Amino acid sequence: MNIPGHTAVPPARSGRWRGGEGPWAWWCAMAVALSLLMLGALLVLLMSRGLANFWPASVHQLTLADGSQVIGVPVETRQRPEDAGSERRYFTANRDASGGIWRWVNVEDIRQDSAPEDLVHIKRMRWSDFLGRLVAVNIDGRRFDGELAWQRLEERLDEIRQQRQLRRELEATQIIPLIRRLESSNGPESNHDPGSNSDDVRIHQQLAELQQQARDLQSGMTGAVLILETAEGRRLEQPLEEVDTVLRPNAMSAWQKVGRWSSGVWQYLSEGPRAANTAGGVWPAIFGTVLMVILMSILVTPFGVLAAVYLNEVAHQGRLTRLVRIGVRNLAGVPSIVYGVFGLGVFVYGIGGQLDEWFFAETLPSPTFGTGGLLWASLTLALLTLPVVIVATEEGLARIPMHQREGALALGATHLEMLTRVVLPMAMPAMLTGVILAVARAAGEVAPLMLVGVAKLAPQVPLDGEFPWLHLERKFMHLGYHIYDAAFHSSDVQAALPLIYATALLLVLVILVLNLTAIFLRHYLRTRHGAFARQ
Amino acid sequence: MPDTPTSDFSAQSPLHSHRYRQRRDRLARALITAGGIGVLLAVLAIGVFLAVEVLPLFLPFSSTAPELELSALWQAQPYADGLEYRWLPYRLDEGEAAYVSLVPLAWGTLEAAAWALVLAVPLALGAAIHSSLYMSRPLRARIKPTLELMEAMPGVVLGFIAGLVLGPWVEQHLAIALTTVLLLPLGVIVLAGVRRCLPSSWRLVLSLRWASMWLIPWLIVLVWLAHWLAPLLEGWWFGGDLRLWVETQLGWDVEARNALILGLAMGFAVMPGIYALAEEALVDVPRDLSDGAQAMGATRWQTLTRVVLPVAWPGIFSAVMIGAGRAVGETMIVLMASGNTALMNGNPLDGLRSLAASIAIELPEAGPGGTHYRLLLLAALALFLFTFLVNTLAELVRTRLRRRFRMLRSDS
Repeated sequence: MNIPGHTAVPPARSGRWRGGEGPWAWWCAMAVALSLLMLGALLVLLMSRGLANFWPASVHQLTLADGSQVIGVPVETRQRPEDAGSERRYFTANRDASGGIWRWVNVEDIRQDSAPEDLVHIKRMRWSDFLGRLVAVNIDGRRFDGELAWQRLEERLDEIRQQRQLRRELEATQIIPLIRRLESSNGPESNHDPGSNSDDVRIHQQLAELQQQARDLQSGMTGAVLILETAEGRRLEQPLEEVDTVLRPNAMSAWQKVGRWSSGVWQYLSEGPRAANTAGGVWPAIFGTVLMVILMSILVTPFGVLAAVYLNEVAHQGRLTRLVRIGVRNLAGVPSIVYGVFGLGVFVYGIGGQLDEWFFAETLPSPTFGTGGLLWASLTLALLTLPVVIVATEEGLARIPMHQREGALALGATHLEMLTRVVLPMAMPAMLTGVILAVARAAGEVAPLMLVGVAKLAPQVPLDGEFPWLHLERKFMHLGYHIYDAAFHSSDVQAALPLIYATALLLVLVILVLNLTAIFLRHYLRTRHGAFARQ
Repeated sequence: MPDTPTSDFSAQSPLHSHRYRQRRDRLARALITAGGIGVLLAVLAIGVFLAVEVLPLFLPFSSTAPELELSALWQAQPYADGLEYRWLPYRLDEGEAAYVSLVPLAWGTLEAAAWALVLAVPLALGAAIHSSLYMSRPLRARIKPTLELMEAMPGVVLGFIAGLVLGPWVEQHLAIALTTVLLLPLGVIVLAGVRRCLPSSWRLVLSLRWASMWLIPWLIVLVWLAHWLAPLLEGWWFGGDLRLWVETQLGWDVEARNALILGLAMGFAVMPGIYALAEEALVDVPRDLSDGAQAMGATRWQTLTRVVLPVAWPGIFSAVMIGAGRAVGETMIVLMASGNTALMNGNPLDGLRSLAASIAIELPEAGPGGTHYRLLLLAALALFLFTFLVNTLAELVRTRLRRRFRMLRSDS
């Protein structure tokens, strides 16, 4: 009982822990504190590592005891066993010049450690990043040195970026749909030679024109070459069209760094992955996750509500209904991988295989619906989250006072009218809570998706301008699977680690926001129905 | 259906509209019934599907598994020199002698779940007891949703942190990890003792009701202290290198991805669920009982152990069982933090492979209808049955407990 003023009364004085509750009470308090600490530590770790990744870190130039030079970004320092000093790991990049991108340096061996302003950090499409110095820029045969080189370089890089964007749009919106159309008209069944059909000829011509355009854009990007120098003094030539960004982190002011950081975050959110998912952005994964979750909630809401209404309002409340209710509740505790197995066996191999035989026989044996895809993944997750929606909706329905129903019926409403005009509107927040909880669960679920349709790399998002716009049979990328894949199937985990942190942070943020919404909604619901009960 | 279905039925004659509404109502009810039963059947079809697909393994004359003897699933088979339990299903696809013992996988699953529970149950029960007994009301209203958020953490993120960050760190700093585990409970008791010597105004600030908040900075200090104490401890007891000592004295391999790390990550995932149910069980105990005990002069802790716990233990038991069900089926954490080696030993610092992880890795590559496919489905069926039974049992226990509480309340 929480009577004001009662709680401050000193407790009974007896036993060894005079006047206290004994050590166990403190250990119990520690359990709560420890749980909160672990949660907080996890969030802080994800936040700091995930966001720090985009900060342009300063580049150091070291002179070692043997006179050699190293240029790199310090990553971590480790104590060596038995007091043998410590060593520091530097990110030295330049895979094309030195073979690796990491270097361990003995801290005691460092004679000089400076951060000259002329060091550059170049993010490239291939061979990982470059760290070193910019000597000159060669644009269309003319050579620029010094500050002029920087100006020209940045102008040229902007042009290239625009052209790259144009080319990407050209490919996505025109060339690929044309190729698709060609493929579909030249299926293995229709074995006429290409070009005999007038429609085909037209498409081929169009395609050739477009590809010429793309090639023109591509060749417009070439012509500029960076001349670079590594720490060891080796000269490299780097074609500018394979460069993403060029930075001088040591010369940047704090504001410039903030600007660079935010544009880095934006690039990460809006671009596709590069270098086998260890660099670049996660836009396709965000898109795939969101689309899959939306489809899932469209599928799960009507069915979940229907089942809940049946169980609570229509079914005879006997022993069987009670058993079914317990069964449904328990299905929420069945491991998600089991749902994945069910989805693979029934949806993909069963229904999907059958659909292929009926409608896509011409493309067999390569499956259309008989392999994992967006539709099957959404269906599987809908099944997985169905118990969540049913339980939440049922709870909402059970909270509605009986006299509301009786009042509606007494005024002459039929059962259906009572349901649609009185009961369901009142249960709306409960349904919403259920759906949001379902979405939160589905967004974080990865194991079943591995069986029914997630892909390591899906170059095309399942939604585009080509009929029927939404491609339910395509595979898709997913944030959670992106984490798993980058963490366990990449050749250099250390290089991928910063991006994994960022992706994990993104996923956690999405799920936290969804859960917080559900919690607030439920709170609102409880207070509102508390008011109902008092009336 | 009438041939003029309009939504505005009030415009029509009362008799007609009444009949129309009645019919519509009957139709809608039939549809809801059909739909509801359909959805429920679809949900319950999971078990049926798994059973039907697994059945050919057990039929004596089926063509799917001619080379497989069923006893190979749970008996040791001759391997190298001696009898061993092995899970090497890929040999099945190559037509060689099959080693498809499910025993190491089941062992891995249970070992992982056991470690998860060892870490999660004390935390969850402690937290439940503290928040139901001591914690101040406004704080409790905040803590409960926070711990719910903890449950929502996706397994893939926990698995990543455990497997790639925590695992390698603990492998390097075994002594610090061990010292932390020993130091935390000790340090908290020391602080509780120090608090008793403080003046009462201080004691009011550092009250037990808010202990879960002000203990957090102290825990951070303790972890930092552990960093400092670990080398001393290692020097006194383990000859300067705990890892070497474990490997030579105990004969245990130390892996970065081991059962303990896995248990920690999975305990983190399972703990909030156990906490929520256990707390509910403790709070549901009729207040008259505990009030009576406290009126007789018992401390709150004595009330808990002598009165509340004996009444509420079935609820707590069912909470632990539901947690066990969740731990057994957790896939991503095991996949990422366990190393996935099908070993059978009790070494908590070695890797393991669980049923769920095996399904996730192998099923996409096993051809539908083959023996390997059906074996994996058998594993899925085992998981399904286990979790379903455990949850049903827990649910029954909870329902009975609730009924008992209701009777206790109506008696008084």
